[in-house]
Amino acid sequence: MQYGENIRLALQGLVDHKFRSFLTMLGIIFGVASVITMLSIGEGAKREAIAKYQDLGVNNIIIREKSLSDEELEEVRAKFSQGLSIQDANVILEIVPGVEKVASQAEKNTEVKFDDKSVKSTVIGITPDFLSLMNYTVQQGYFINEKHYNERLKVCVLGAGVAATFFKGEDPVGKLVKIDDQWLEVIGVLASKSLFTETVGELAARDLNRDVYVPLSLFLNRFTRENVLSSEIQQITVQINNSDKLIEASRIIDEILKRHHFNNDDYSIVIPYELLKQEEKERQIYNFLLGAIAAISLLVGGIGIMNIMLATVMERTREIGIRRSVGARKIDIMGQFVTESVAISITGGLIGVLIGIMLSLVVTLFTDITTFIKPYSVFIAFSFSVIVGVSFGYLPAKNAANLKPVDSIRYE
Amino acid sequence: MLIEIKDLKKSYSLGESEIPVIHGINLHIEKNEYVAIMGPSGSGKSTLMNILGCLDTASSGHYYLNDIDVSTLDDDALSLTRNREIGFIFQNFNLLPRLNAIQNVELPLIYAGVPGNERRERALKALERVGLSDRLHHKPSELSGGQRQRVAIARALATNPGILLADEPTGALDSKTGVEIMRLFDELHKEGNTIILITHEQEIADYAHRNIYLKDGMIHSDRPNQHRRELMSQ
Repeated sequence: MQYGENIRLALQGLVDHKFRSFLTMLGIIFGVASVITMLSIGEGAKREAIAKYQDLGVNNIIIREKSLSDEELEEVRAKFSQGLSIQDANVILEIVPGVEKVASQAEKNTEVKFDDKSVKSTVIGITPDFLSLMNYTVQQGYFINEKHYNERLKVCVLGAGVAATFFKGEDPVGKLVKIDDQWLEVIGVLASKSLFTETVGELAARDLNRDVYVPLSLFLNRFTRENVLSSEIQQITVQINNSDKLIEASRIIDEILKRHHFNNDDYSIVIPYELLKQEEKERQIYNFLLGAIAAISLLVGGIGIMNIMLATVMERTREIGIRRSVGARKIDIMGQFVTESVAISITGGLIGVLIGIMLSLVVTLFTDITTFIKPYSVFIAFSFSVIVGVSFGYLPAKNAANLKPVDSIRYE
Repeated sequence: MLIEIKDLKKSYSLGESEIPVIHGINLHIEKNEYVAIMGPSGSGKSTLMNILGCLDTASSGHYYLNDIDVSTLDDDALSLTRNREIGFIFQNFNLLPRLNAIQNVELPLIYAGVPGNERRERALKALERVGLSDRLHHKPSELSGGQRQRVAIARALATNPGILLADEPTGALDSKTGVEIMRLFDELHKEGNTIILITHEQEIADYAHRNIYLKDGMIHSDRPNQHRRELMSQ
């Protein structure tokens, strides 16, 4: 018997019993939909984390001043630590093996003004190396270079958010903005970056698009510190040539800084790559749990199919007898019933895929959870549903095939 | 020889005990014979029909169909034999309710592996033969009892089997329709078909050329039908 006949028969059966078929499929539909949604949430979280840590640089070690209260700060200074300094940065570049570049940055929260508008911003003094250390791109104009730095030119590069507030589509390059009592010329605008919504170590969550970058030399020379006891700089970013040596390098950096800061614990070291790996590990357990729950719902869906198919076989004993009497072999009957349960699970699987994709979109639209549907997750969920159909359809089909023709033809 | 049965026995096991139904039957049926097998209920005629139709196998003895010992065949070969050699016609028609007339007739051809176009053609021809060319797309529920039995006969004819095996074919029909069906059998016999009729009604058995009486699982009598000529002349 041709296999096409089985498929035609099975589809006919589905259409003949629309409501029953739908109920039978429900388990598979929800199973597949939940597998796809859960995988997409897991994948979304992964991509978000990777993007976040990529912004910080996966080969970077970040040394950050600890935020201390005024009393703590006084105590630390009394114990001879001057906080993070450019000298620390130079020592690290000289001593630590595998260091490619070091960038110091000083920060100050202040207002930036243009015309009658003002924005609360973080003004950051940086060295020209900064751009190549971080994964930032310049959207308009250009970035601060050696000349600006060496000559302490009064220039600045705006974050995308600041530029949008001030200039609304106009070309900001060449315009003058006022920071504290200084007038600076805008030479470039950075591309918009995903918001830094989580605090990573000492890196407080903030809107990176509200940053304004100026040459560090200018910053130290022209801007007053927030506090007389403040450190010279707030952050040192160290780029290592090999991500395998990150931990080793960070240990050496820690040793050096301990000595220079007279054992004062006024800095912290963040390794974005290590945090990424750690977070991934935690997420893996979480994803596994989600996957297991989804898999159980698929399993329950399969049992649902088996249950209905067993009942169907009973109900159709007579039909089986008739088919056997006109020449159907066991394998023909078997094929017919397996095809039917596979047809149910494939149809359910397809509906489940659609619902799963819609659910992921709904989750993205109405919550702040990022989702991403990988084609392979759709493939996995779908093929799983087919496997469920075959394996849970097998037993009922075998029962059907093993009915004795002589008994089933007279079954009332 | 089409059918040769030698010392055939059949018993069913009920728990520990064996209940014999057929106690050793010897029987020959030639090609193009028209035989009625008769007997009261419990005489074993249904069991004999199941065995003749390869729906069931004997406990002992031999059943040669076209010189092949059926008792040695496995399930697949029995299915093939039912498909190629035997056309069943049942008392309650046994049509598939969801399929229309032509689809019901196509059923054995599907299992014979006949490709779609040819299948349709042969099914059409069989339905034409039984006079139902105008009811091709009706479902069994939309047909009268006589028409349903005609569909069933068309289905039995579809694969050109060696034997038509009819089990009380008029049992569910009124007498007028029953006569029409028996006329059809007569014509089919004249066209060269071998027909075996299982019935407990003498009136029906009178249409056959040879009457076999079963009693208590044994052949009680086996003789040519004397009444036939009178009946046909009416």
